Amino acid sequence: MSLKSIISHMKEKGADYCDIRKEKWEQTGLTLKDGDIDKATSGKEEGAMVRVLYENGWGNIGTSNLDELEEAADRALSMAKKSNEYKKEETGMADVDTHQEKVEIEMKENFLDISIEEKVSFLKELEQQLSEDFVRSTELIYGDRLVKKEIATSDGTHVEMKIPRIVTYMIVTGKSDTIQRASEGIGGTGGYELTEKAHEKKDVVLERLETLLEAETPPSGKMSLIMDPHLAGVFSHEAFGHAAESDLVSTGNSCLEGKIGEKVASDIVTIKDNPTMEGYGSFPFDDEGTKARNRILVKNGILNDFILDRENAWKLDMIPNGGARAEDFRVKPLVRMSNTIMEPGDMDFEELVEEVDKGVFAKSSGGGQVNTGEGTFQFNAQEAYLVEDGEIVKPLRDVSFNGFTLKTLQNITGITKDMETGIGHCGKGQTAAVTDGGANVLISEVTVGGRE
Amino acid sequence: MNEKLVDSVKETLELIEKKNLEGDVYGLKEKNISYSIKKGELADSSEYEDMGLGIRIKKDGKIGFGYCTPGEEEKGVRIAEELSKISPKLELRLPKEDDTPEPRTFDEDIFESSSEGAELTQKVIDGAKSVKDDIIPTRGSLGISDSMKVLGNTNNVLLKEKSTSVSAGVLTTIHGDKTSINASESRSSRKMDLDFIDIGKTAAEKVDSLREKSELPKGKIPVMMNPDAFAMLMWFGIVPAINGENIRKGKSVYEGRKGDKVASENFNMKDDPTKDWGIGSGRFDDEGVPSREVQIIKDGFLNSFIYDLKEAEKSDTESTANGLRGGFKNPPDISDRNIVLRGKNIDREKLLPDKGILVDGVMGAHTLNPASGDFSVVATPAWLVDDGEIKGKVEGAMVSGNLPEVLETIELADDHKKVYESIGSREIKMDLPSAKLNDVTISGK
Repeated sequence: MSLKSIISHMKEKGADYCDIRKEKWEQTGLTLKDGDIDKATSGKEEGAMVRVLYENGWGNIGTSNLDELEEAADRALSMAKKSNEYKKEETGMADVDTHQEKVEIEMKENFLDISIEEKVSFLKELEQQLSEDFVRSTELIYGDRLVKKEIATSDGTHVEMKIPRIVTYMIVTGKSDTIQRASEGIGGTGGYELTEKAHEKKDVVLERLETLLEAETPPSGKMSLIMDPHLAGVFSHEAFGHAAESDLVSTGNSCLEGKIGEKVASDIVTIKDNPTMEGYGSFPFDDEGTKARNRILVKNGILNDFILDRENAWKLDMIPNGGARAEDFRVKPLVRMSNTIMEPGDMDFEELVEEVDKGVFAKSSGGGQVNTGEGTFQFNAQEAYLVEDGEIVKPLRDVSFNGFTLKTLQNITGITKDMETGIGHCGKGQTAAVTDGGANVLISEVTVGGRE
Repeated sequence: MNEKLVDSVKETLELIEKKNLEGDVYGLKEKNISYSIKKGELADSSEYEDMGLGIRIKKDGKIGFGYCTPGEEEKGVRIAEELSKISPKLELRLPKEDDTPEPRTFDEDIFESSSEGAELTQKVIDGAKSVKDDIIPTRGSLGISDSMKVLGNTNNVLLKEKSTSVSAGVLTTIHGDKTSINASESRSSRKMDLDFIDIGKTAAEKVDSLREKSELPKGKIPVMMNPDAFAMLMWFGIVPAINGENIRKGKSVYEGRKGDKVASENFNMKDDPTKDWGIGSGRFDDEGVPSREVQIIKDGFLNSFIYDLKEAEKSDTESTANGLRGGFKNPPDISDRNIVLRGKNIDREKLLPDKGILVDGVMGAHTLNPASGDFSVVATPAWLVDDGEIKGKVEGAMVSGNLPEVLETIELADDHKKVYESIGSREIKMDLPSAKLNDVTISGK
């Protein structure tokens, strides 16, 4: 039975809305540890997610048994009816343009045509380039996956997509008086041609480890912070972007609730989330079949938009902008970011450093976490330097900082011209491929946590 | 459905044997039903059912891995065979016996109550709403799952195990004029023994206690951590240090320190998947090795590390039954299974410091340096403790230190909790008490 027939059947049985997302996955993963293949995996799988809305209640079924999709849809409807018994708040789906399209993201060099031996040679060559006296251990991870999706909705949308993603991670470990590690990830939406970028990044990861091995523990307390472009991107994603996800806004879990049109950052701050630009988080249609578009979340300091799926757009009386993403066919889509960028400014890096009396220049993210409701965040930088009297003084390790999101956005006093992006995997119960980016950003005050 | 999985594992083993190869097949069937809470109401219910095979074969002394769904066994074996070509030669001694312990991991009550999830979720919501009118359970979830794993190998081993679990968590919020405050509570169990109303009520009582603010004390002062917060630090900071591969490669602070005193007296850390109803308990690991208790730190002295079959071969030791897969799509890797921490069992109230802070959650535990154990996390929610009494909320507290050093003077309480958290394809499964960290620095606002 076609997806369209199953959906029609659900409507006849009383469903207010129904969509089905069918997916086929083909993926390969390789891990090279200290020059030897440690893990090699490959496989294919397929399945589907059926979502049914009955009055105010949702029922969602994920299954790898495509022969029984009709039965899964029936079960989703009965679960939706059960949910509706407990749900008082009205629910609906905001209108969107319907589409009937087939879209394929181009691979200049199809990774499915590359032999496994060649992929191993690429990792081994890269590993040899990481061979330095101060490197004690190396770990290289390669992954590619081609996902074919077919999405049909009861509104009449029927889109088919092919989305290829590829990623390489380099992790190096060294030892001085402490053990330190440095890492860098490279990848995007596209084909095997994206592996070329890995060679460009090997010097970055080696220099980072060498610096960390000489680095000292950081001071603690309030001080200025310069974030490099990668960290500025991760800050935009973590501290601000999550709070702009409409599911958190509509359930009272965001410090940005009710603030559209208000000033939430300094005038020089513009943040966008754009799934249509080149990046690891790109896609043509979201997982509800809504056409993806650029979202200007903050424009010159003013809150302009949220990331919106159809249900939360309906609740907030806004326009859906393709914000629904699911990790795979097993799970329902959540409101997620894609490629999140803080727009560059007009300063030079030297000018930024000159403005700092006492502070830290922090580079590349070591991870972060946010409380969107309270509007607080914590970040860790992989690499950092002490800045005193407008000069970079010495390297620091294990630098973490925290603050209040809205206050920190207001405390941004300088942004440089040069923009860079990095890739990452965002976790919100499900994993999503994302790109984060920006320029060097000066924050006049954050709290740095150190052991001294 | 279970028969289909067992038949598929057997069929795959026959295919491997026909080719005169060695190997093992891991079959997994999972069913999960979850309910989400949004803005004080049950919002939706979701279900997924999944089944697949992880196939590992040894050809010409090299190991290859592939995965597939039942019905695609031949393709799966072919992929594993193909991938073996690129692997280095390695001896892999697959287990021969199935003399495994039988901890209790399957609760018929959970299995039969999967249709009552909506009612149980409503209990969590009702509990949270029972404390004060302005406290809202803004987000949360309840999950009920049952799974079956089948592990067979070419040594005629065929093991089967069923397990169940239930978990519930809720975030409660008080909205203010400018900012809101929130706190959460989550609990997990392998059997239907959770008090769902109490989960909601506890989260609400926590957020209610955060209305008043206290000044944050700074400097080297003690930090009392509740089990959930302490589990996050231990998992990101100490679990990587006891991994046999990190020891062999010099990537652990515990390299060359076996037999040394590394923690306070009475500090005991073991990985014990043989305990009945342990969150990570099971008869065997995902390579079919019979489960056993691994005493990692005994009375403060470093005693043992954890190994899977591959690392045991490389380190010239034997597997400690710590090979886990994180689903059928991944080959086995070294992983903790059911970490149990015990100390002096000091009464929790008596362990509260004269002057310090009490921490219920930490932000940024995953940013801890796994190689050195250095950490700097934000404590939230957290309260001031003065004269041994819990006072108001403290904001923006950063707690920093080096976890291996912190263990040397740590003190453990008597309030044991089973903590479960899912981190990507890996899971935190710990049974541990609150802890007083005496060697940390607090900085902040």
